[in-house]
Amino acid sequence: MRIKVILLALAVMALVAAPAFLSAGLVNASIQMLIAALFASAFSLLCGQAGMLSFGHSAYFGIGAFATIHAMNAFNGAGLLPTPLLPLVGGFMGLMSGIAAGWFATKRTGVYFSMITLALAELLHALAPHLKEVFGGEAGVSAMRMPAWGFTFGSNVEVYYLTLFWVLLCLVLLYLYTLTPVGRLTLGLRENTHRLRFLGYNVHKLSVLVFAVSAMFSGVAGALQALNIEAANYVVLDMQLSASVVLNSYIGGVKVFLGPAIGAALMSFFGYAVSDLTRSWLLYQGVLFVLVMMFLPDGLVGEIARRVREGRFGLGWERLSAGLLFAVALALSVVGFVCAVELAQRFFSTDYRSMVVGATWPPVALFGREWLPFSVVTWGLPLGVMAVGLGLLSFASRRLDPERGGAS
Amino acid sequence: MEHLLVAILNGTIYGLLLFMVSAGLTLIFGMMGVLNFAHASFYMLGAYIAYALAGVLGFALAVIVSPLIVGAVGVVVERYFLRRVHRFGHAHELLLTFGLSFIIAELVKLFFGNFPVDYRLPAALSFSAFRIGGTDYPVYRLIMGAVALAMFGVIYALLTTTRVGIVVRSAIFRPRMAEALGHNVPLVFMGVFGVGAALAGLAGALAGAFYTTNPNMALELGVLVFVVVVIGGLGSLEGAMVASLLIGVVTSLAVGIDASFADLLGVIGLGDWARAVGGPLTLQVSSLAATIPFALMLLVLLVRPSGLFGDKS
Repeated sequence: MRIKVILLALAVMALVAAPAFLSAGLVNASIQMLIAALFASAFSLLCGQAGMLSFGHSAYFGIGAFATIHAMNAFNGAGLLPTPLLPLVGGFMGLMSGIAAGWFATKRTGVYFSMITLALAELLHALAPHLKEVFGGEAGVSAMRMPAWGFTFGSNVEVYYLTLFWVLLCLVLLYLYTLTPVGRLTLGLRENTHRLRFLGYNVHKLSVLVFAVSAMFSGVAGALQALNIEAANYVVLDMQLSASVVLNSYIGGVKVFLGPAIGAALMSFFGYAVSDLTRSWLLYQGVLFVLVMMFLPDGLVGEIARRVREGRFGLGWERLSAGLLFAVALALSVVGFVCAVELAQRFFSTDYRSMVVGATWPPVALFGREWLPFSVVTWGLPLGVMAVGLGLLSFASRRLDPERGGAS
Repeated sequence: MEHLLVAILNGTIYGLLLFMVSAGLTLIFGMMGVLNFAHASFYMLGAYIAYALAGVLGFALAVIVSPLIVGAVGVVVERYFLRRVHRFGHAHELLLTFGLSFIIAELVKLFFGNFPVDYRLPAALSFSAFRIGGTDYPVYRLIMGAVALAMFGVIYALLTTTRVGIVVRSAIFRPRMAEALGHNVPLVFMGVFGVGAALAGLAGALAGAFYTTNPNMALELGVLVFVVVVIGGLGSLEGAMVASLLIGVVTSLAVGIDASFADLLGVIGLGDWARAVGGPLTLQVSSLAATIPFALMLLVLLVRPSGLFGDKS
């Protein structure tokens, strides 16, 4: 327990000190990471704790973002809503829309619930381009951050601290929520609704409440996004965002409180870091998600937390060598897979296809080398490396976890 | 009048297509309790594979081979992916198929680019069957409808009259009992999953040539298919049929209506007020066509939460 508190305090201190050491681009990426972390935590309140898997959470994020942009334009930073308090608007609108949508969606449970949330989000997405006054059509709506309370909010760093403050506040609130009786009942929704009903609780009301709270914090995340980029476009209501929050949360692990936040922060950091290098980032994200679903059902953070809890970090020579082998095998498979995908991406791209003249296929440029498109080495090398990696992986995981009989 | 007739015909045929996809989804759900999020991705895969093969094999053969390949992909998905996560529960299976649909969409973008491909009908098939009033009615629409109907005749006959059909139905109804009687239920599951995927692939191969083939087609149709199964009741073939036709016809009719709510309110003298309010009240029904299925779904959920033909859950 004490170690946890110390670790958390260190993490918060690192977050507070970070802008002093980061370039402007990285500060911007950190803002995105913080927003993604909050959004994922809000989402996992619903899917991890209450067991209701929503496929349309971008709707509440988007509503929060648009509400904030309109509030920025309406109040102009004056009156009751100076810039630092604007996320309240996003949270409020998220809450309201969450109550309305949640009332419908929580009428059913399980897969029906998932489909209804998806359909509601698509309803909004289909409607948004036609409601030009609210969603601004193709161009979207933009606004300006006004100075308030002695801050200009002109620089990245001030926005970072504003975002950090709100994200930490919301995470603390979300954590405190799990400690309240309602928070315990939320877990009951996941485990056994029949029993809750039997005990005299109104399950539908409770589900709507959880849905609304989750939508509220998603709205705050949307508001922070709107504050950060000073604009909102109906693209934010797209399925892409709903999908990525599902993927990120489960990659992190929804059963641990900070799992989704860490997963989302990590994934959006990688998304930022590799966006210049590859166009296939979403593919890697999807593959990682499927692998996590198949082999680490508790997610990355969840798996680590479980191993720490069970004290399974014994450092015998045997385990260390097996772990090392596992790491090498994993690295080999990843390298092989990434090379194969990148080669295929280059080979099938329209840029490359336009260079083909008649029957002469020019070599494909990748990693500063030229690869002949029809040579065995070009395709055999990455696939071979991947095959060797996968073989080693299966061997190493059997040695690491004999009782599991080799999960991979 | 002719417009109405054409709209109803178009809607019916689109509904039949929707049924081809949603039938597999609803069968698989009824049998395994798995909502296959990747089902619409099989539809997209069918269209893209047929497009890739059409250049080599010709259109007709491509439309036949593509569903077979998609069916094989479905079998692989069931055998090597779904079966592995089965012990983690249904939510995990749903999430896994969600991840797979994501991967399939990204792979399609990788191989074919993030834009519509030029998959179209051979010239031999693009002629008109008959004229209704002033409009030519393309024969290909009739072919799509006929294939969908024929497919269902075959499947219905298979399920109701053959021995295989009896085993499949018993595996759907009481999987444990069927297994205890010595039937290979996992094999049945795999087979039905493969057939469902192949049907979706066939729908894609047929429809992709007529409508557009792009990386978004899975999501666009997938959402509609989910609406269909919610309205019809998950696990019910009849429900899927009725709901598909309903949605097909209603959206197809709505596209042709130029009126708005303001015009409707104008009947009782509130037209000017509505126009002054603007916003959703002055939107034309035609531009709202895409949202009508969702509104229908919400309505059904309010009135009959288990769907038109669903059991009480």
